[in-house]
Amino acid sequence: MATRKKVLLKVIILGDSSVGKTSLMNQYVNKRFSNQYKATIGADFLTKEVVVDDRVVTMQIWDTAGQERFQSLGVAFYRGADCCVLVFDTTAPNTFKNLDSWRDEFLIQASPRNPEHFPFVVLGNKVDLENRAVSTKRAQQWCQSKNDIPYFETSAKEGINVDIAFQTIAKNALAQESDEGIDSAFSPSLTLGSSSDSNNRPNSSDCSC
Amino acid sequence: MSDISNFSDDDDSRQEDCALVDALSELNFEENNIENIRKRKNSDNQEQSETNSDPCSSNSLNFVDEEYDYLHDSEWINQKCQVFILSTAGKPIYTLHGDEDKLNPLFGLLQALVSVVSVSSNGNPDEDDDCIRSITAKNTKFVFLIKNPLILVGVNKSKRSEQQILNQLMDVYNQIIFIVTLKHMKNVYEKRNNYDLRKLVAGSERWIDHLLKDEKQTRISNNSFVSLMHSVRILPMEATTRDNITKTIQTNCSKIKNLVFAVLIANNKLITLVRMKNYCMHTDDLRLIFNVVECSESFKTAENWLPLCLPKFDPNGALYCHISYLSDDCEACLLLMTVDQESFSVLSNAKKNITEKLRRSNYMEAINEGIKDKGINLKTIGVPDIRHFLYKNKKNTQLLCSEITTPYNTLEQFERIEAMYYDLHNRIHRVSRPLKLIYEMHEHEIQLAWVTANYELYATFEPLVEKKSIIIAQVNKLLKYIKKEEDKIFMTGTHIF
Repeated sequence: MATRKKVLLKVIILGDSSVGKTSLMNQYVNKRFSNQYKATIGADFLTKEVVVDDRVVTMQIWDTAGQERFQSLGVAFYRGADCCVLVFDTTAPNTFKNLDSWRDEFLIQASPRNPEHFPFVVLGNKVDLENRAVSTKRAQQWCQSKNDIPYFETSAKEGINVDIAFQTIAKNALAQESDEGIDSAFSPSLTLGSSSDSNNRPNSSDCSC
Repeated sequence: MSDISNFSDDDDSRQEDCALVDALSELNFEENNIENIRKRKNSDNQEQSETNSDPCSSNSLNFVDEEYDYLHDSEWINQKCQVFILSTAGKPIYTLHGDEDKLNPLFGLLQALVSVVSVSSNGNPDEDDDCIRSITAKNTKFVFLIKNPLILVGVNKSKRSEQQILNQLMDVYNQIIFIVTLKHMKNVYEKRNNYDLRKLVAGSERWIDHLLKDEKQTRISNNSFVSLMHSVRILPMEATTRDNITKTIQTNCSKIKNLVFAVLIANNKLITLVRMKNYCMHTDDLRLIFNVVECSESFKTAENWLPLCLPKFDPNGALYCHISYLSDDCEACLLLMTVDQESFSVLSNAKKNITEKLRRSNYMEAINEGIKDKGINLKTIGVPDIRHFLYKNKKNTQLLCSEITTPYNTLEQFERIEAMYYDLHNRIHRVSRPLKLIYEMHEHEIQLAWVTANYELYATFEPLVEKKSIIIAQVNKLLKYIKKEEDKIFMTGTHIF
């Protein structure tokens, strides 16, 4: 067996526009924050290496466009995600209400095999602001109702809870990625005369015998 | 390429950084970047001014993780040929050069390129319409082969055509199927579309490396032309000797049930092939077998029993292959391929008997003679103005080449003439306007390509042959020689158990 390869974990961040998806990613990877708002066009990603349970893994974090008119990478691109991060703004109730549709949208597009147990993480961002409008309790209740999604209250600006949230994301993503049990089912056997080998007849043009 | 991976320190360039889709919609995105990469390479540590026009250049160090930045590795950048394989989810599977772990951002970008184009159709990568096929940026071609659940990308700086690069990617794809089987691969991805296929390919990457002919030591070889010509080469020997070797295999295998193919090869050339009635070995499959045998030293020391999938034969299942060399003093490799998982000992016995019989009849010596052959020697057959040729027998897709001699026996010159053959082949077979004959005088040689119903000839002549009549006379002489020796240099007829 060759040397153990580093696992790549694909993480998708979803949520309404201006909830702080880009800022969270930027704070986590680059430890930087800017107050200026700039819409993400299409998608953007950063990679970061983290250690999870003594394994070095690479997180490929995809920041997506919250504004519908900029969502152009499409569905193909959600496929094969290892974890989905849903972000809302704790000062904007609408962004919280929309979590349902973001989650549904992801499950439809990504169509993971086991949607009930697909790892999501919910982040209530902007807790540094004073005009709080979504209570912790309300957010936790929603998360519990969806199969106990881990919930973190974060501030991308102050860097509150960002590291621990992403550490959880990495851990849950890795657990999902390394779920064993499908590699072994290799049954190579072949039956002659089945329909699939009809193109092996000797008169096919590229035959070299 | 740095555009999307990079987060900018200064917020003013953030807009550009994010503008993946905008940037992708204009092809000069790639072009600019390639320019910039080149510029950066040249101006590294020298002058900032040149790269300042690129809004991301100051941050391009962030492109790859802290460990290593391939985009500043001039050796990596300047590779003539790059091949990347990823899953449609964007998970890295293989890179020809470098370490795919350190190229994660690049794989992300490649997936984004594929996604953004398929979005404009129905977002369904399974559909053939509207998928990215290639990007051309100055002298670099990026060619995409989307074979759900895999994406293969070839990047080539040589003159190869899009179709030729695509053929190379097809070979690589088939090599993966050869290892994993299509059915198993699809099953795995159906169950988990975030699967890391490296778990299944691990240990076999060198088969892909070897297929892409990366090793410089073995680069100067006529073997480079088999994939271009979609053909196999035949070990030269007297027709009666070949017949007798074939008969030896037939007699020892005729009673073995479920044996589909027996293939005897040496030095990347076919000695003989015996098959079950109604089944056929495709040239593409045979080339994969050659590839795997050539780069697996371990086959020389022991009997091997491997399930291998021949993608053209049946991509969904594997044949069990008994693989072993005839003996220490005869480096010919015998492959016995069956559908019966339990027949190792039967095949092992058959192989022993075949070896003994071949030794007693002195056929091993004949094989060893053939192994020494370096290709047709043009001086001895009296065509001194031909420097090198490729002759494809179209009927049985077999390729004949002449020995590689001066001036083409240096790496630089070999790669030059190889590129010329690729170019010639591309132009004569161009779909929009196929040709029958090309005759060209170049600075260093004269080249001729000629396609007929029965064969294709690509020949390289001394540059100073003044009269066309001399060329015509020598070509005719060569063709006459090939006709005369046909039984020896090609394998004719088919053999069944």
